[in-house]
Amino acid sequence: MTSLEPMLSFTGIHKQFERRAILNAAALDLYAGQCHLLLGENGAGKSTLLRILAGLLKPDAADIHFHGYSKPTMSWQKSRPRLRDTVMYLHQSPYLFDGSVIKNLSYAKSATQGGSHNDEAVAEVLSWSGLDDLAESPAKKLSGGEKQRLALARAKLRNAPVLLLDEPTSNLDQQSRERTIALLASLRDEGVSMLIACHDLAGFSEIANGRYHLAEGRLVRSEA
Amino acid sequence: MQESLGNAVVEAIALLLSGDPALWEIIGISFTVSGTAILLAVMPAMVLGFALAFYQFPGRRLIIALSNTMLSVPAVVVGLTFYLLLSRQGPLGDMRLLFTQTAMVIGQIALAFPLLVAMSHSAFQAVDRRAWETAITIGQSSLGALFLIVREARFALLAAVLAGFGRIIAEVGASMMLGGNILHYTRNIPTAIALETSKGDFAQGIALGIVLLVLAFSLNILLHLFQGKGVLS
Ligand SMILES: Nc1ncnc2c1ncn2[C@@H]1O[C@H](COP(=O)(O)OP(=O)(O)OP(=O)(O)O)[C@@H](O)[C@H]1O
Ligand SMILES: [Mg+2]
Repeated sequence: MTSLEPMLSFTGIHKQFERRAILNAAALDLYAGQCHLLLGENGAGKSTLLRILAGLLKPDAADIHFHGYSKPTMSWQKSRPRLRDTVMYLHQSPYLFDGSVIKNLSYAKSATQGGSHNDEAVAEVLSWSGLDDLAESPAKKLSGGEKQRLALARAKLRNAPVLLLDEPTSNLDQQSRERTIALLASLRDEGVSMLIACHDLAGFSEIANGRYHLAEGRLVRSEA
Repeated sequence: MQESLGNAVVEAIALLLSGDPALWEIIGISFTVSGTAILLAVMPAMVLGFALAFYQFPGRRLIIALSNTMLSVPAVVVGLTFYLLLSRQGPLGDMRLLFTQTAMVIGQIALAFPLLVAMSHSAFQAVDRRAWETAITIGQSSLGALFLIVREARFALLAAVLAGFGRIIAEVGASMMLGGNILHYTRNIPTAIALETSKGDFAQGIALGIVLLVLAFSLNILLHLFQGKGVLS
């Protein structure tokens, strides 16, 4: 299930905001079917890092290596389209579009099936995330826990090999928290590579294979 | 006077209801000219509004300041500016556009454009930054993401179009200077009101005034509905 060879490696990630270095030669590897935690204080740069990894925020510099892919290491700029097809970023509080739960799911494009997905796939993620009864509800009116589950359903439909989660349980109560972690565990077991930004280990240590600690712009890795 | 005013109002309503061709022709010219101006202005204005909201580029602050300033320039000054440009001796005089519907459309575009830019800028600004990132990360192309952003802002954008249309359909200054109030051609609702009233024919002026009032009322109700929706969602 776990391979020794990473599927995706990042090196030399640099990012400054107003001449303040947030990331300074940070490097990390992501493995299929493995979950790593990204720990760091408020303002350490966790969200910034995740946005860069997902191809959403331009770093000052970064090299990316897709293992098992013929091209050698590429710059962030060059690999951005491929990054966006490989890595999915989930915001700390999910953004849902105007419209029903189903409508929101319909906007997610499968990364593996040429963008399309059928009704069965939608029905499957609905029951997987426990949202069957809310399929027609307006997404913007869902509770915090339901929103998070819809974001995960959307991610499952997207079927990206790598998921980056930004404090996915920070606004949830104990029950929703456990439910979310169970969904994450099932995704990991399907072979999805995950990186979860969080302040504390609360509940995540049982699904994590290792940790990255972000401090002073650098990442230090430790195994669980 | 009281009695003749009362008569004029009755006559005005009769004119409207009887489908008086001269009256409805004027109304048609107003809607054609202002409708064309809005149609031509809306796309570029919204693209600019989108760029102002989502991108940093040189000249951005200048454009914002300029469009905000243009908002409060009176229609007659816009009319005068284009009059000078389009008149025989003006730099664009050879195009022979003065006193045509095209000149009116140009003037009305100049009036509507800054309002459309300012309102679509704030409409797009109100869309959460996460919306763009979410659209991209769930696999939408840039165009698909743009479509989703426009969809999120649709009520505020519609409100911008209605406000822009409301501004130009009722303005008299630019239409008078650039169109010249030529019967069957460039005489629209506001210039007809100004002319007919000065000639002492109150009924037609009142009839056209009623049309503008009803229009303003409907536009405001629609605006109110759309803005309410925008806040709610
Ligand atoms: N667009 C931006 N412009 C300027 N500074 C920014 C920008 N985005 C983030 N920063 C700064 O970069 C630093 C890192 O922010 P980031 O959101 O990545 O931290 P974080 O580790 O996710 O924090 P938290 O745990 O509070 O979510 C912060 O000091 C923040 O103020
Ligand atoms: Mg953060």
